[in-house]
Amino acid sequence: MSTPFKNVIPAGHVHIRDNVVAKGNLTGISEKKDIWAKGLNLPMQAEHMLFAGCGYQQMKYVEGMMSALKSAGKMGMGVGRVVGISKAFSKVGINLTNMTAKTMASKEDPYTPVLVSSVNVLRKLGITPGYLHETEPCCGSPMYYAGFEDDYAENARKNYRIFKDAGAMKLIGIVPGCTSALKYNYPKYVKGYDLEVYHILEVIAEQLKNSGVRPKVQEPLKVTYHDPCQLSRYMKITQEPREILKSIEGIELVEPDAEQVGRWSTCCGGGNLETSHPELSERMGDRRFEALQATGASIIVTNCPACEMQLSHQAKKTGTDIKVVDILRLLDEAL
Amino acid sequence: MSSSDLQHLEKEITDNIQRCWKCRMCVAMCPTYEGWFSQSAAGRLMAINLYIKHGLGDVKTLADLIYSCAACRRCQERCRELSTDCHPADTILKARQYLVRKADSEEGKD
Repeated sequence: MSTPFKNVIPAGHVHIRDNVVAKGNLTGISEKKDIWAKGLNLPMQAEHMLFAGCGYQQMKYVEGMMSALKSAGKMGMGVGRVVGISKAFSKVGINLTNMTAKTMASKEDPYTPVLVSSVNVLRKLGITPGYLHETEPCCGSPMYYAGFEDDYAENARKNYRIFKDAGAMKLIGIVPGCTSALKYNYPKYVKGYDLEVYHILEVIAEQLKNSGVRPKVQEPLKVTYHDPCQLSRYMKITQEPREILKSIEGIELVEPDAEQVGRWSTCCGGGNLETSHPELSERMGDRRFEALQATGASIIVTNCPACEMQLSHQAKKTGTDIKVVDILRLLDEAL
Repeated sequence: MSSSDLQHLEKEITDNIQRCWKCRMCVAMCPTYEGWFSQSAAGRLMAINLYIKHGLGDVKTLADLIYSCAACRRCQERCRELSTDCHPADTILKARQYLVRKADSEEGKD
């Protein structure tokens, strides 16, 4: 008797699918998504709509959950069992994810400030973005990469209606995974998809060139850039972030060897893989972090919440004083 | 999910794998590669092909191979430039869809 197929789909992926379908976000946490946008006065309707994505909004909870998963793995409990326990609790009406997430949420939260920075940068460069606040849906791309095509397609069609009802025409995505989903995958599943989708770095690079503003950092920095997979290979955005970094006065960009740069950059192991293969993902993170460390840079710049989580975890683990900073935060300080 | 849809997906996957020359250009490109051939795009594709066409291998190992791919597309980039352009990363994603569809069709039977 062979193993039934439904037993071999990783439990973590199934859990994420259930969260997206039932709660409209990755973690299943019923906290308000738009807490970071308080006081920014972002309009509900604008020419350019910001798509913040679950990544930055909820990463502080994911970080706690991931480290819980990894330590459970070391204790001999598989990922599947941990997810199973949380599911059993939810059946009797206790939301374990909600409770653990609130206690395990990292004290320092470097993720939501990236969203604030992105709004600041766009405003400084003359674009007034809008934001859907509570109604912003989850793009659902983890479901796509886990193979749940039907759920993904349904989610995509639902989201398209939400954007249309809000009168959005141009979307500016921040999380690379969400943006590539909205740009390249949605048209495959939604008939007559007519939203223009840009990644925020494309918009910023163009505006920087046109406006002639010269950003400047207080003291000289030596930085290296880590290309997120979804940005460099799925969306082919490799020049823009480097142009932005080079345009900042006082920043020196050092890169690993050519086999590791741009579209050939190695995956850091963060993101979807972490849910099903935490140990493999950890080893991949080790390898990528070593290559970046060897450049001698004091700051690793990247533009993906999953990469940021993975690399800063490595930095903490190795005890180096290398910082992992999002390019938007760096630019916000320099502008 | 009808069985003809499933067959169509099977055909799509195996046709794509057929185009692979096994040049192994993608092997060292894979960030998960640690010395085993099955930790690379080419190895995963061969395992998928053997399972779909000949029923070889067990489902658990197959799923582990398929889900251990990071979907970073580094293999696909190399394949496009130097080899047959058989879209290894996209094919592995298709194989995940295949597993999910199989699981769904099982549930329908019960």
